[in-house]
Amino acid sequence: MHVTEKKFSRFVSSDHPLPWLAPLLAMLVTFTIYPLIYNIWLSFHEYAPFKRRLEFVGWDNWSTLIGDDRFWASMGVTLLYFAVVLTIELILGLALALLLDSEDFGFGFLRGLLTMTLVVPPAITGMMFLLMEDPEFGVITYVLETLGILSSTQPILASPSTALMGVMLADIWQWTPFMVLIFIAGLRSLPQEPYEAAMLDGASGWQIFRRITLPLLSKVIAVAVLIRGIDLFRMFDYVFVMTSGGPGTATYTVSLYAWQQTFSFIKWGYGATISLVTLLVIIFIANLFIYLAKVRW
Amino acid sequence: MMVQSKAARLRRAIIAWVTVALFVFPLYYWITVAFKNGRDIFNQPPKVFNFSPTVANFQEVFGVSFGLPRNEVLAGGGDFFMAPHLWSSVVIAVFSTILAVAIATLASYALSRIYFRGRHHFVNWVLSTRMMPPVAIAIPMFFIYKDLSLLDTYLGMILIHALMNLPLAVLMLKSFFDDIPTEIDESALIDGASRWKIFRRIIFPMAKGGVAATAVLCFVFSWTEFLFALTLTQTSLKTVPVVSSTFVTSVGTAWGNMAALGTAAMVPAFIFILLVQKQLVRGLTLGSLKQ
Repeated sequence: MHVTEKKFSRFVSSDHPLPWLAPLLAMLVTFTIYPLIYNIWLSFHEYAPFKRRLEFVGWDNWSTLIGDDRFWASMGVTLLYFAVVLTIELILGLALALLLDSEDFGFGFLRGLLTMTLVVPPAITGMMFLLMEDPEFGVITYVLETLGILSSTQPILASPSTALMGVMLADIWQWTPFMVLIFIAGLRSLPQEPYEAAMLDGASGWQIFRRITLPLLSKVIAVAVLIRGIDLFRMFDYVFVMTSGGPGTATYTVSLYAWQQTFSFIKWGYGATISLVTLLVIIFIANLFIYLAKVRW
Repeated sequence: MMVQSKAARLRRAIIAWVTVALFVFPLYYWITVAFKNGRDIFNQPPKVFNFSPTVANFQEVFGVSFGLPRNEVLAGGGDFFMAPHLWSSVVIAVFSTILAVAIATLASYALSRIYFRGRHHFVNWVLSTRMMPPVAIAIPMFFIYKDLSLLDTYLGMILIHALMNLPLAVLMLKSFFDDIPTEIDESALIDGASRWKIFRRIIFPMAKGGVAATAVLCFVFSWTEFLFALTLTQTSLKTVPVVSSTFVTSVGTAWGNMAALGTAAMVPAFIFILLVQKQLVRGLTLGSLKQ
């Protein structure tokens, strides 16, 4: 009796991690593990409109998914969006971080201005760019037409070839500053000695960046890519308000497809199946990246 | 970092100002739309500076159209009385932030200080919960909330937004705790203080700035969140991002009104984020620098 009591009290003392982690565990298990199991259960069922209840359908949803061209198209759009936007946000974010990480007059103000894009709800950002890319009175359309890049007969968001770019622009505008913040935080925490040594050796700016900054910053870059990449793969807001997936399937992301199947077409089981596959793909890519980039906490 | 000549510094400043101006332009343009009348909004070429400012859009959106019957004069005939939705968004964002930060602070202190086997696997697992696409959570949550009658409730939204912010909050707070030397804890432990006491009396006060920065980020993410709010609220309770779509009507989009709402919605979040700029610039390494 005495022994078990002692054993139990070991867990409730603040020296043991459990009391500290218990609330987090409770939240994460309730809101992620439970939905996950529910999703798996749902993927083997489908809503029967005439009977007004869920019916067991076995592997039907999964076999439909494999032969569903629209799903594979949306997966392609998502992967393309993910790869292009992540690359641009990474390179642009790094360049801007190097540019703005200065103690000169006015740079603090500029960094503050840049963070403004983060507080705009993405749904409203979508609307902003919808207005600016409007074929008749949009300011971006006007600039591109004046520069002769875009012909006036081609609406950005209604042409299959440019619609996805129009959406990407909103994402890049909104989230590059987030990358800049992460990278500036990283740059600020780098040790100064390697730089002093390199300056004594007369290294050029590019050499210093390539040989010192980039390797020292690699862990920060890896984490930024991971966090942002996960978000990009789940992208929903911009396409939902800007294009609803159109024209055709040009801007259908998997998240949007799953959402529409569930709530617009009342195919609850199929929507759950799509979102499960999305999760599997994210977990696979993210863990591959964590393994290859040796991200550790 | 580098000693630069005057010309190089000037060139750098010019490039910096121009690039930031490009980023700020869409926001500036959006704010001008909020102050434009209908004709100026639809003008081609777009009016960037030379428009005649009006506050009519704000009056319509926040229900203070002087002497006008509210529902008659507005595009699409919709109810544009938006102040309650702004309030709903504030309540949800504030309480979900408090919940997320409280849980994450406790957890990340332990993850930073108390060693246990598989600790880094645990951190990886916490992050992996962020890999769940919101759709994959929103679909089952819709049915679960329906059964528990949590749809359209503050509690439901607060819980789901807190959850959404937990992984990032844990990573960020852990990096702030990691910055504080462990010698402080160790000497206090030798003096016989309990972990809880050390946390409450010493470590938490030292990490206050980081906690504030994390809180602001959680606030902003809840304030701007769309998918959960869209799915888990149906009629009575709506947040600002969701309600902004009511300006899109069959007769056309009420851009001026939408921009007015959007502009008003940015102000509180922007003030918060400016207040913690310094801490944000330190903490956003998200724990990637340890080891």
